[in-house]
Amino acid sequence: MQPAGKRKANMIKLRINGQEVTAERGATVLDAAKAHGIRIPNLCAAEGLTSYGGCRLCLAEIKGRKGYVPACCTPVEENLEVITDTPELRKLRQLTLELILSEHPHACLICAEKTDCEEYKSTIRKVNEVTGCVLCPKNGQCRLQEVVEEIKIERVRFPASYRNFEVLRDDPFFDRNYNLCILCARCVRVCSEVRGAAALTIVFRGPQAVIGTALDRPLLDSGCEFCGACVDVCPTGALTERALKGERLPDETRRTICPLCSVGCSLEVGLRKGRIVGSRPLEGAAVNDGQACVKGRFMIRDVVHSPKRALRPMIRGHNGLEEVSWDEALEAAAQRLTAGQPESSAMAISSQLSLEDLYIAGKFSRAILNTDPVLATPVASPLLAYWEALRENEISAPLNFNISSLSEVGAVVVLGTDLPLTHPIIWLNVLKAVRRGAKLVLWDPGPASPIRWATRILRTTPGSELAVLSHLGRRLLEQRPKGEPVQVPGFNEFEHFLHDVTHVEGISPTGVSDQEIRSLAGLLYGARPGVFLCGAGILTRSDAGVIVRMLWNVAQLLGARVVPLPLESNERGAVELWPWGLANAPSLDSIVCGLESGRIKSLYLAGGFPFFGRKRPDALIVQDCYRTEFTGGADVILPAATWAETDGTFVNIEGRIQKFKRALEPIGEARPDWWIFCRLAEKLGRKDFAFQSPLEIAEEIGRMLPALREADSAHSRKGRPSFVFEEKKLAGRFLPFGPPVTPATEVAGHSLEGSRQRLSDFYRGLDLCQEVKGFRRLREKLNLRDEKTKA
Amino acid sequence: MKSLSHPSQLAAWRARLIEERDSARKTVIVSNGTCGRASGSLDIIEALGRELDRRGLRETVRLQVTGCHGFCEFEPNVVIWPEGIYYGRLKPEDIPGIVDQTVLKNKVIGRLAYADPKTGRRYALQKDIPFYRKQVRRITGDNLRIDPERIEDYIMADGYQALAKALFDMTAEEVIREVEASGLRGRGGAGFPTGRKWQFCRQEMAARRYIICNADEGNPGTYMDRSILVANPHSVIEGMIIGAYAIGASEGYIYVRMEAPQAVRQITVARDQARKFGLLGKSILGSEFHFDIEIVEGAGAFVCGEETSLMASIEGKRAVSRQRPPFPAQSGLWGQPTNINNVETWANVPLIVRHGAEWYGQVGTPGSKGTKIFSLVGKIRHGGQVEVPMGIKLREIIYDIGGGIKDGKKFKAVQTGGPAGGFLPAEFLDLAVDYDNLVRAGSTMGSGGMIVLDETTCMVDLARHYMHFTQEESCGKCVPCRVGTRQMHDILVRITQGEGEEEDLARLQELSESIMAASLCGLGQTAPNPVLSSIRHFRQEYIDHIKHKKCAAGVCRGLARVSGRSSVAAGRKKKSQHD
Repeated sequence: MQPAGKRKANMIKLRINGQEVTAERGATVLDAAKAHGIRIPNLCAAEGLTSYGGCRLCLAEIKGRKGYVPACCTPVEENLEVITDTPELRKLRQLTLELILSEHPHACLICAEKTDCEEYKSTIRKVNEVTGCVLCPKNGQCRLQEVVEEIKIERVRFPASYRNFEVLRDDPFFDRNYNLCILCARCVRVCSEVRGAAALTIVFRGPQAVIGTALDRPLLDSGCEFCGACVDVCPTGALTERALKGERLPDETRRTICPLCSVGCSLEVGLRKGRIVGSRPLEGAAVNDGQACVKGRFMIRDVVHSPKRALRPMIRGHNGLEEVSWDEALEAAAQRLTAGQPESSAMAISSQLSLEDLYIAGKFSRAILNTDPVLATPVASPLLAYWEALRENEISAPLNFNISSLSEVGAVVVLGTDLPLTHPIIWLNVLKAVRRGAKLVLWDPGPASPIRWATRILRTTPGSELAVLSHLGRRLLEQRPKGEPVQVPGFNEFEHFLHDVTHVEGISPTGVSDQEIRSLAGLLYGARPGVFLCGAGILTRSDAGVIVRMLWNVAQLLGARVVPLPLESNERGAVELWPWGLANAPSLDSIVCGLESGRIKSLYLAGGFPFFGRKRPDALIVQDCYRTEFTGGADVILPAATWAETDGTFVNIEGRIQKFKRALEPIGEARPDWWIFCRLAEKLGRKDFAFQSPLEIAEEIGRMLPALREADSAHSRKGRPSFVFEEKKLAGRFLPFGPPVTPATEVAGHSLEGSRQRLSDFYRGLDLCQEVKGFRRLREKLNLRDEKTKA
Repeated sequence: MKSLSHPSQLAAWRARLIEERDSARKTVIVSNGTCGRASGSLDIIEALGRELDRRGLRETVRLQVTGCHGFCEFEPNVVIWPEGIYYGRLKPEDIPGIVDQTVLKNKVIGRLAYADPKTGRRYALQKDIPFYRKQVRRITGDNLRIDPERIEDYIMADGYQALAKALFDMTAEEVIREVEASGLRGRGGAGFPTGRKWQFCRQEMAARRYIICNADEGNPGTYMDRSILVANPHSVIEGMIIGAYAIGASEGYIYVRMEAPQAVRQITVARDQARKFGLLGKSILGSEFHFDIEIVEGAGAFVCGEETSLMASIEGKRAVSRQRPPFPAQSGLWGQPTNINNVETWANVPLIVRHGAEWYGQVGTPGSKGTKIFSLVGKIRHGGQVEVPMGIKLREIIYDIGGGIKDGKKFKAVQTGGPAGGFLPAEFLDLAVDYDNLVRAGSTMGSGGMIVLDETTCMVDLARHYMHFTQEESCGKCVPCRVGTRQMHDILVRITQGEGEEEDLARLQELSESIMAASLCGLGQTAPNPVLSSIRHFRQEYIDHIKHKKCAAGVCRGLARVSGRSSVAAGRKKKSQHD
């Protein structure tokens, strides 16, 4: 078999300490040893980062070579004979470790009573100056502690040189105590190699060398995105999450899916006494492989344990809102709902609800309120807009893709979004592609766009996207080899259309020159295959339909893929569940208008609804996890559990079915959304809502979405990802264009201008900016930068 | 003059230049290198210009401003051509007399002629002066004839002939073979055979290859490379073009310290001239070979002299070393095969190509061919930049060329190889200087620093000084170098302050060995050399410092001198006296 043979040819045989091992070509001796359970002490090596060779602990001997070589920097070679453990090497390692410890508080590390000490650690007086392990936040999770155990040293013969750096605590989320730093540069490497931010570097040299930022500015001013990757790779307590200081290690960890954007990162939450103490990205997870963003890394705890959580059902009585039992609350809600006329009711739901909750919400809305629910999101759904535009042309758009496949494309065009901000994990994969030589084109980049990585930057006057796209199409036609007949239906019509509508003169008002577009066409054509990543900034405009068609055709010319970027965790799930319903549902604007005009008498809000008119409907039922400004006007408050407190399913941006289990019990008297809907429906006399668990609901959904039914078994099947449906090979086709269109300039949907317009910083009703101060500072910085660039 | 598009045009140009120049015409040559300028050569040039103008001699007498001629101790100086009369340590007041007597009347002014301090004998001609007599100035010999601002001077001195020969009469392989046959070894310090290094780079499959001239001369007390760049920049450029042709590189970099502004200026001027005349750029001399040079200014980190750091610095990254392999010849600048040679190595290349490997090998020892330039500094009477044949004895350099120790003091040792090298005490004075002998004697050639020490030098303090230098200049990447050198430095500081302990010698020894074995790059691997070497040859001095709290040289304040004569009160720190 060809592939197996190939794999075999790429395997290399070598001997480590006499043991024969095999490793893939390109692996290092350290990788090979690790894979075969041979321990070589090391500190600066880390998975996914380039070899560094700074700590010198993994030195080894290689037969036939002079001196010692670091295993982490030595690629495997056929028949290499490596020896990792000799008295000389042991001595060398001990001395090197002693040198490392001479700069690191080490009294506890070599203390004879270190194992008995734990119960006596009582004072946190000196918590700011970590003088030993007992008060170090990394105690028990520290690589240095492990290495000291491995190398076994009992004393440090050199005088300690405490560097006496001030602990840096001005930045949000984590402290930097470089007195504990061993200069392994893991943080520097992860920041530049994996995250592309390069906010950190080593400054000064010799004994003054220390990790720092450009010009010693705070991280907030240095392009740091606070993704926390540096904190996660730090082998010592130098970088530690501030909220974890003084906390003990968690009792247990549980897996969950981050609900704060459409990527759906796998996270591991640490729990102590039933509370989430922190979260970190899961190593090896298919979607995010050990990486997260500021929200997933630092804010899960705040989202779940927000002081704004609605803990008990409430109804409006004579003295305002009063706490009542669930039964009373459901009764009150049922009364309010039966009172109204069918066409005078509306339901708005959040696309951050799980698939099961969404399904029940839809069923509830249609059965009881006689209307389709509307997706109430801070930003209109770019995915839905894209889906609708193609549906008009009878194309069922291919939406599935694999995030990791993005790292293999030749060109990436980003339009209408600030990728590192809206979809950080997607950006990481694009960055991988860019590092492999892919061309990155940023179209109207926002304040957080990765300009430094861009091959081209296109700045167009607002509203001219269509003109630029069609001109690009025209120039792409010239790139194609002459005389080659194009068999794709619609091509000739499109070609004629482009020749009719595009003129060199027509390009000047768009802000880009014909020259620029011509060279862009050459660039994109030369770098096939490419992908267009389209965010809300372009897909939620009022002329989205025609833009999508043009985009589709231009992509056809390039053989490129168009990927719409939904913003919310289950936006894709909602579109999969009832796309027609969503498309037919009244728009959010019409609900706001209906409230203003008094047409809508009763409103049921499930999830968040951050934009609220001045006028209150006669009946307002709010089912959310939080009590926010607008719940104050509610007649009934039904406290919902967060995703972390219930089982459920998200369908992420890729179309990947992501099942998650509850991480903790519902807080207070909060109940999962499906439970509330079902019990309320039962109160209203419905018999078809007798569900007792999300599993039963999933079974019912499975009848319309077979993939979901298979997801459970598929998960167990070698962990292969299961998508909502298998990708169909779509025959290429160009979409027809009518007479030339005048592009619109106004923006559809909710009229929030600026970068926020492309961004959703909410979990249901909770504005994360208001909730987390550090996050607010981060966003303020961004808005400031945005204003500066606009000025 | 237009761009040269054929080798015959180069020859024709040279012939025309020589024809135009009246060789009998009186020429006053002023050495105007860095040391010359520091001693006032600009005033001398100004005075000369004034005097020539006053007498209306501008047309008849030529004023030639050149780089350094090596005799730094006697700057500023002039040489009057064609006789070769030498006057050193001049003041502007001396100029009218020189013009009047020597230039116009051919009379030697005895008072200004060089007098040998040992014998008192005066020498009128430069070539007779003992400082020059034993030198073989192959690379630096043309300095007298070359104004670094004028490519014409270099052309007249057979410049770019080797390039024409290489491009049109030799294949790339032949050039490499010639260089390999010459036995040229890298002048940067490690002494790797240059031809073989080129071959490694050439045989690597790649779309692009680079060559680099390492002009990041950072060893304390060395200035050979700077002098070459100031005095004869075109020789380096010519060497690089030939090297690029041999290796198949299309781009070259000269990485030069910005602390040597004159070198930066002269190499930039020379590069621009070479470009102008078609010696750099597309189709060099009309051939199918394209090559150009960029000049990169280093910001003055010692570690940038290490090749992997240097390349990181060119790439715009923080200058830190990385583990080799891959060697630069496999994956260097921007990940492409790269060949790095030192300034002096490049300057040797045109000579080899022009005169052939056999001629080149006439000078030197079997293992080390050619000449080597040394910066002779320290407690030496006639310090300067000397070019000597490989195999010359240390004694000849120090006593015959350098004129012995200053102020009648006693020779103690000579330090070669900079912070990576070691000390050679008197018993090594008859050592024949070449790469292998120096290594065998526990030092290294280095880039050519030669610091002469006399009895007033404290070896412990000097070792401390070197350790201070290396620990400050460590890039900070690897632990042994960053922390280990600091620990060594701290121990040495204690010893020089009279707080040494008996175990310190063993500690230094162990640290040294570990640092040398475990460090990432050459900086750390050689950093303990001065300490080890001084312990080996001057162990008693360490013991005096540690046990007897005495410093024989009287350098370490707070310690007594060994000789009772001028014993200095030891102060509070001297516990042993109270005991």
